[in-house]
Amino acid sequence: MEKNAGKIIEKFRHITENPHEYAKALKDKGHLLAGYMCTHVPEEILYAAGFVPIRILSAHESQAMTRSYIHETYCSFSHDCAYQGLQKNYGYLDMITHASSCIHMAEAFNVWVRFAGYEEKSYLITYPHIIHTKHAGDIMVKSFIQFKEFVEKFEGKSITDEEIEKAIKVYNKTRRLLKKLWESLKADKPPISGADVATVSLAAQVMEKQEFNKMLEELIQELKAEPHRVFSGVRLMVTGGACDDLRIFDLLEDLNYDTNLIFVDSCTAARYFWFEVPEDSDDKLKAIAMGHISRIPCPSKDTVPGSGEKKRFRVLQGYIEEFKPDGVVMLYQRFCSPQSMDIMALKPILKNLGIPWTELELDTTVPRIQFGTQLEALIETINRVEP
Amino acid sequence: MKKVKIQAGLDAGHINTKAVIMNGREVMGYGNAPTGFDIVGAAQSALNNAMENTGVSLEDLEGVVATGIFKDIIDSPSLKVTGTVPEFKSGAKGALFLNRDSRTIIDIGGNVHKAVSYDQNGDLLDVVQNDKCADGLGIYYTTMAKALGLNEQGLTKLALKSTKKLSVAIQCGLSAETDAIDLMCQGEEIADVAAAVLRYIAERVADMSTYLSLTKEVVVAGGIARSQVIIKHISELLNQDISVIEPPEYVGAIGAVISEEEE
Amino acid sequence: MTEKASIHKQLDWKKAKVIVAGVDIGAVNSKALILLDGQPYASSHVKTLIPKESAFGTINAISDKTGLKLENIHSIVATGIGRSQVPFAEKTVSEIACAAAGAVNIWGPSVRTVLDLGGQSCKIIHCTDRGRVNDFLWNDKCAAGLGRSMESFADLVQKDIDEIGNIALQSEELLRLSDFCSVFALSEVLDSKINRVPEEQVIAGYHHAVAMRISTLVARIGLKTDLVIIGGLARNPAIIKWLEEILGVRRLAPKPAWDSTLTVALGAAMFADSFHRRR
Repeated sequence: MEKNAGKIIEKFRHITENPHEYAKALKDKGHLLAGYMCTHVPEEILYAAGFVPIRILSAHESQAMTRSYIHETYCSFSHDCAYQGLQKNYGYLDMITHASSCIHMAEAFNVWVRFAGYEEKSYLITYPHIIHTKHAGDIMVKSFIQFKEFVEKFEGKSITDEEIEKAIKVYNKTRRLLKKLWESLKADKPPISGADVATVSLAAQVMEKQEFNKMLEELIQELKAEPHRVFSGVRLMVTGGACDDLRIFDLLEDLNYDTNLIFVDSCTAARYFWFEVPEDSDDKLKAIAMGHISRIPCPSKDTVPGSGEKKRFRVLQGYIEEFKPDGVVMLYQRFCSPQSMDIMALKPILKNLGIPWTELELDTTVPRIQFGTQLEALIETINRVEP
Repeated sequence: MKKVKIQAGLDAGHINTKAVIMNGREVMGYGNAPTGFDIVGAAQSALNNAMENTGVSLEDLEGVVATGIFKDIIDSPSLKVTGTVPEFKSGAKGALFLNRDSRTIIDIGGNVHKAVSYDQNGDLLDVVQNDKCADGLGIYYTTMAKALGLNEQGLTKLALKSTKKLSVAIQCGLSAETDAIDLMCQGEEIADVAAAVLRYIAERVADMSTYLSLTKEVVVAGGIARSQVIIKHISELLNQDISVIEPPEYVGAIGAVISEEEE
Repeated sequence: MTEKASIHKQLDWKKAKVIVAGVDIGAVNSKALILLDGQPYASSHVKTLIPKESAFGTINAISDKTGLKLENIHSIVATGIGRSQVPFAEKTVSEIACAAAGAVNIWGPSVRTVLDLGGQSCKIIHCTDRGRVNDFLWNDKCAAGLGRSMESFADLVQKDIDEIGNIALQSEELLRLSDFCSVFALSEVLDSKINRVPEEQVIAGYHHAVAMRISTLVARIGLKTDLVIIGGLARNPAIIKWLEEILGVRRLAPKPAWDSTLTVALGAAMFADSFHRRR
């Protein structure tokens, strides 16, 4: 049993860096594993069926091979995920699923289905394109019913409401614990670094949730007893798309100036877990749908019909008020359309709030010096540096 | 008996113009010149260069066969162009002539790279050219060499000394260059950066080549084929042996003459 | 390593109270600037090959001409992409803060936007009348290497990089080229030869495409006058002319005695001066 917060964080980090080793160990214990792309998949249904849902992430490999499969100007995250399939790095998965989100990830999923041998063991979940409509909830429920039927047929046994409720409670616990961990960053001198919190959040997406919950509870206890790392510095918030590259978060806190990463609005962080599914309701699938609708919207799903307004900025403003960032780092995949449009709309809001920002485009590599320069220039701007 | 004639082949490429003088099917000598904007002038220089190297004069030449992207432009009276051959054909015929077992040629040019597969007669089976973002691999190689203060051979020599695998982005030459500079400014060894840069070139070429069903004997042409580091990496990515056509720059020019000779 | 050093004839470093240096290690060129009691004294230009060696090269070029050595310098600030490879620097400051500080120093407090057209990257910087940065934009990846691509272009068309802008201006017409990315533009330049487009039109077209691309970056952050343009590409008259036309703004004229490529190094030296005085 780990006594030290640092040791627990190391363990989480190790899992994020060796996800296949972790997954294979689960497989050896007899677990069924379901891979998923994008965070809109209703994991509780899989969990209730006895699968351990594992998010398919990238390996940050510079390769050109996938250009024969998907267009060269699709984001590197989708290319890399496609590559993982073609290389059979996730060969231990029993099935894969994806809830429609953006076109690049749809193609990556397609590559797995058609070219990586998952034709008979894959399922594409219909997911509304815009979640702010009245119909969205209904569409989700109908879609989740079909997905549940597929999973039941695949496994050869039915999923009971009790099993779904149990899954909801386990997942809600994960969500609450992660929320608690991130909220500790509101303090002027947080007990843990943002990079470490981002590490734990990423680990959540590739771990079995009950095991994860246990480890995170221990970590939170340890942090209460003895903070892992305490410093104050310029408070930075990240907003953007999928970023599963922890080196970026490390860099944010490893500049020539003191900085704290205090919030990450991305689907690999806050958007993944900052909500809850209503518990003990009669209609379990409807409850999951309601939970999903209450999430921080993803830029690819967030346009209000009629006004074309983006709801997520109101939500973001709330986080800005709570977490008080001094600056914002916009982190998005090069060639990502929804994310770059999102940023254009966000900038005037930040300007009104008087919060400076900088943009970093992600690829498989991390140009530490160039990114470092932009980040340090942002800090100098915030600190009103002049000779 | 078919009369053996002395002909010249001119391969007017984006960046370099290559010339070969052949006596029937026997190579006598080569010449080259940078293409620049005066395409006819460059072709003339390349041809003059070859004529100097072989002692052959313009009067001795029965004909000049042109290939390469600018083949139609160099069709000028001063050059005595007697015919033109499409690049894909000259590449296939030239490769087959120089290596009878070959069935696929990967040609890495100054601006574009392509792969052609052909049968035992050198007749075309399939053809593929690079994605637009991967344009300019040859130019990029030269730019990187210059950025490191080296000549072209020097860049490959440096890469051979690499002991650590580094990665640069593979979207395009600009991305790779930005990353290469970043790595150098991170304090990485330039030999390792050089190797990463060459690996980028190999990745793009290999990826394009997978569009074709690769046949047993794959040969590589183009100036860049002289880099054993790039060749080795392409071979690893394609998971098969590949060999370099000798001389790699002149396959097109030779192939042009051979095509004409066979007609 | 070709080094160029320039020394102020009337000043003597041995008589100075405070000697500071700013070292700007760019992707293509490395520059150093020495201040004696706040006055520019010496500068050097060295091609950037291996950043650490180039950094020493900038100081050696000055030492060779003046005898001034590293140990004589009270404070050194490094900037530019190679700033972490300057072992003798006391501190580093981003080239963004340095560009703003340097520009306001030379062009005065009316400066509000600095456009730095470097070899590998383009930065647009908004600053206050005191040279403090309040906003900035770095080029997106597709606009990387505009400066270096211009050098590649000059090589391809076999023209001197110092002459190519003038050639561009002489052409009455210009060839429309892709203005999104240098890879596409260069490729189109090569293919234009098929259509036998006159050389000057191609050269003009390339310059126009680069100017268009820079202007899209400026549009993303906005432009406030007065505008200063520095960096290697700023020496190209065609780029300046077309940028001014597209942006609808005249930049502040270059100062006769000032090499604008030293502006960032000056900013770094100013920071060095300020760090030393605050000790």
